[in-house]
Parts: sequence; structure tokens; C-alpha cells
Amino acid sequence: MSFVSTNFLVFLLIAVTGYYLIPKKCQWIWLLLFSYVFYLSAGVQILGYLLFATLVTYGAGVWIEKTDKKKLVMLAAVLLDFGMLAYVKYFNFAVDNLNALLGIQIAERNLLLPLGISFYTFQSIGYVIDVYRGKFAAEKNPFRFALFVSFFPQLLQGPIGRFDRLAGQLYAEHTFSFQRIERGLQRMLWGFFKKMILADRLAVTVEILFRNYTMFSGLLNVMAVLCYSIQLYADFSGGMDVVIGAAEMFGVQMDENFKRPYFARSISEFWHRWHITLGTWMKDYIFYPLSLSRGMKKFEKFAKKKVGKKVGRILPVCIANIVIFLVVGIWHGPAWKYICYGLFNGIIIAFSNLMAPVYKKGLNAFHIPVQSWWWKGFQMLRTFVLVNISWFFDMGTDVKAAFTMMRTTFQNVSLQPFRDVTMQNIGFSGEDFFVVLFGCLVVLTVSILQERGVKIREALSERNWFLRWVAYGLLLLALPLLGETGPIGGFIYAQF
Amino acid sequence: MEKLMEILEEIRPEADFESCKTLIDDGVLDSFDVMSIISELGDEFDIEIKPADVVPANFNSAEAMWEMVKRLQNK
Repeated sequence: MSFVSTNFLVFLLIAVTGYYLIPKKCQWIWLLLFSYVFYLSAGVQILGYLLFATLVTYGAGVWIEKTDKKKLVMLAAVLLDFGMLAYVKYFNFAVDNLNALLGIQIAERNLLLPLGISFYTFQSIGYVIDVYRGKFAAEKNPFRFALFVSFFPQLLQGPIGRFDRLAGQLYAEHTFSFQRIERGLQRMLWGFFKKMILADRLAVTVEILFRNYTMFSGLLNVMAVLCYSIQLYADFSGGMDVVIGAAEMFGVQMDENFKRPYFARSISEFWHRWHITLGTWMKDYIFYPLSLSRGMKKFEKFAKKKVGKKVGRILPVCIANIVIFLVVGIWHGPAWKYICYGLFNGIIIAFSNLMAPVYKKGLNAFHIPVQSWWWKGFQMLRTFVLVNISWFFDMGTDVKAAFTMMRTTFQNVSLQPFRDVTMQNIGFSGEDFFVVLFGCLVVLTVSILQERGVKIREALSERNWFLRWVAYGLLLLALPLLGETGPIGGFIYAQF
Repeated sequence: MEKLMEILEEIRPEADFESCKTLIDDGVLDSFDVMSIISELGDEFDIEIKPADVVPANFNSAEAMWEMVKRLQNK
């Protein structure tokens, strides 16, 4: 059931109405019921994976508190959860590569990738590690725990929730509040605006330009990657607005997943603003444990002796960064292009960590005013260009296609394609141009205001109801008038 | 505490360690800074900081870090 569908809106309407009509102590059961109905609507055969992750993680949490072999139980649960994810997502990829490498013939399996598996598996693993670390007590009620794993707004594309912040809200009793419903709808409307007016309108053009990359070069490649930048951000962050807005209607405040990422001034900062919950998950459960592991400590001591204290201290962090971005790449999907995507980000971050002292000296030597608007603007532009280069790996059909597109971007650079019929052939009409421009300007204005600390939603709620509802009405009106209402609908990250 | 402040100021000279209570929450310190701090604290105070200790509550302010150092020294 796609979020951009009448079915989902009707489903949500029934879920919210019932939630506030039934006795409050049954509200969490109601949410669990609707979450499973939502998941089942995608097919009965994928339910087993969700149940497996839930039962393994629930059992491990309870067991960890009773046994002396806490680490063993935690590791077993992590391995089982990861094993399930690895099996359905990466089995065929591993078989393909083994066959090619060793010249053998292991048969591929017809595996169905269960919706949202990467998200709920990571959420479950985070829980079990936190119980092991003693961060909170394990949930004793299996059904309540099942709701934490399956809460339907976040099930398909995150945000990857943390038990200590999310679970209490899911189990709490919530009283109906008109303001809560209004705020939830408001946030969802904003998500639909981004999704339908920007992401879906650009989807066809992006698809044509990236799939038929051998036919295009020069500025059309630049256009391809810029359109993808807009599409991906509008799609994923718009999806998050819908998720967070829907959850808000049940009185559940989810973690934010985006913080205006294209204003980042470094790749490292970009990952603090883009898919935030994946970044913090990687940091808490892979980066720190790896950086603080005995092996890495030994390596740090060795490196400090060999290359000096400062560099020796940085090297383990660089290695840990490359490892977590390798995992980020693999998390995105079973393909070498995603591994390159992850490594590209990891290597840039590791390199900038390593070069930070040199960079600082350079800035001082050239008297660069680091707080000036033009320097900050330059840093943003530089980061945006690097992010766009990474999108060639992300959206390109494979690694070869990504490198070919990067190379041909510098060939046949002319404005000719924008003057002839090419635009119509790539599904980008004059109307598309103006609608996308309008949508981008709206999103950019809102982003600049938010970046300057203006709390737009609070400011809007202080206006009288007439002005507020006129604003919602205009947004709502824009959806069928300017939005893409074709057969696209699905969200990019729901495939991960 | 003085030694801790010296370490922090060397790692991130422009940050306000005297009064800021949201060093992690507001992104003043990133994971690279946190790892540098952990490494320095480990060497200076002979403590072992574990992954479970790396939570915002222990790194959001200089005082919180100092409390953590004292706690780990007493272990």
C-alpha cells in the first residue's frame, strides 16, 4: 500500500478514528493490529521475515537479562537478524560474484525482498545491543515489542527508531487533540507536495537519462544528476514528512531523518543531515565499537609510534569511517555500484580527517575568512558537487555506467540539447520545467527560513485558523494541479 | 578538570567548552572529535572508554566528560 494512494489515506483515516474511539489502554493493540494489516497488504509470504526478526530480538532481549552469557546471546541475535537480511538481500549477489570468480555454477534463488527489511532489521539489532549494554530494560511483553518493530508509518522506509525514545510513546495512552491531527496532516501535506510535485514529476526524466546514458553527454548528464538530486531528496524527505506526520496523529513523535542536507559544508556534515537515523545507527553500533576495539587500540598505539601522535590518533578513525561507509553502501543494495557509493563517501571523509591539519594551515596561510558568506557558500557548492558525483554511483545502472557518465559529462558540452526536441524525448516539457522550478523555490525558501532558525510550523499555528486553512488549501490544490498523478507512486527508499 | 579543558581546547579551539551543554546535540563535536577526545582522555587519565559510554549524556558538556572520567577512574 503506497503512502501516495487513496487506499492509504482511507486506511489512515480508519486507524486514527478508531484509535481515539476505543479505550485508551487498548490503543497500542489497535496500532499493532493496523501495522500487521498494513504489512500483510503487501503479501502474506513476507510476513515470516518480520515475525522472525521480532521473535529473535524479543527472545534475545529477555534472555540477556537472565543469563551470564549476555555477549553470546547478543551476538547470536545480531547474527541471526543480519543472517536473515544477508540471505534475502545478498545471497544472489554473492552467488553471482562467486560464480564469476571461481568459474562455478551455483544456482541463484528466487528470493522475494521483503518490504522494509533493511529498516526493521537495523532497528531490531539496535534494540538488542542497547539491552546488552544496559541502556534500558528489555521489553517483557512480546506483543508490545512487536509494535516497536512493526509500527506501520515507519515500517517501509524508516526512520530507524530507538527503543528508548520510541517505545514509550507507542505504548502511552493518547487523548484526542485537534491540534495534533492538524499538525500531522500539515506535515503529511508538505511531504505529498515534495513527493508529487518534485520527485514524481522528475522520475521519468531521471529514468530515461540514466538508463540510456550512452546516448547522452555534456550538460544533459549534468541535468540528469541535478534532477536526481532533487528527485531523491524530495522523494525520501517527502516520504519522511508523510511518515512523521502520520505518526504525529497517533501522538508519536519520530526522530527526524533530514536536516536540509544540501546546505552541508562537508561530506561529513552532509551525513549528519541526510538519512540521519542511519548515520547515527552506524556511529553507535559500528563506528564506536570498531574504533574502540582492542585491535584498533593496538593499531593506534603502533601508529602513534610509527607516524607520530597526531596522525597515529587519526588513522584508526579513518579506517573506521571507511568501514562504516562500506557498510552504508552494502546496506543500500546488492550491487558493486552501491559499494563504490559508500567507499566514495568514506574515502573522502577519511581523507579530510587526515588532511585537516594541513587544510587548517593552508587556510591560515592564505588568510581565508572562514566565517565569511562567500567561503561558506564555496564549501556548500563544493560539497554539493561531491554529493552529485556520488549520485552517479547511486543512480547509474552499474559502476561502468557511473564512470562513463562522469567522463562523458565533459564531452560535447553545448546548449544544443536544450534548444531542440531532446527535452520532449526525455520527458521534460516546458510545463515540467516551470513546475519543478516553482517547487524547488518553495522548498528552498522554507529550507532557508528553517536554517535561519524560523520555526515555520509554530509560526503558522499562531496565525488565525482562516489563514492557516487557506495555506493548507493552496497546498492541497497544488497536488492535483501540479503534481504527477501517474503510475509512479512508490518511494525509492522503500526498495531498500 | 584543567587538563581536560586543555585537551578539549586543543582539539576544537573555537568551541565554547565553558558554557555549552549541547556539544553533541547541536553538532559542535562530531564523531571525529569524540574519537580524538576519547583517545586523549584514555592516555591522560589512564581510563578505558567503552562503546556503551559513548552517549550524548557523557559528551554534551565539559562537566559531563569530567564526571565520566572520574567515574571510570574509580572503576
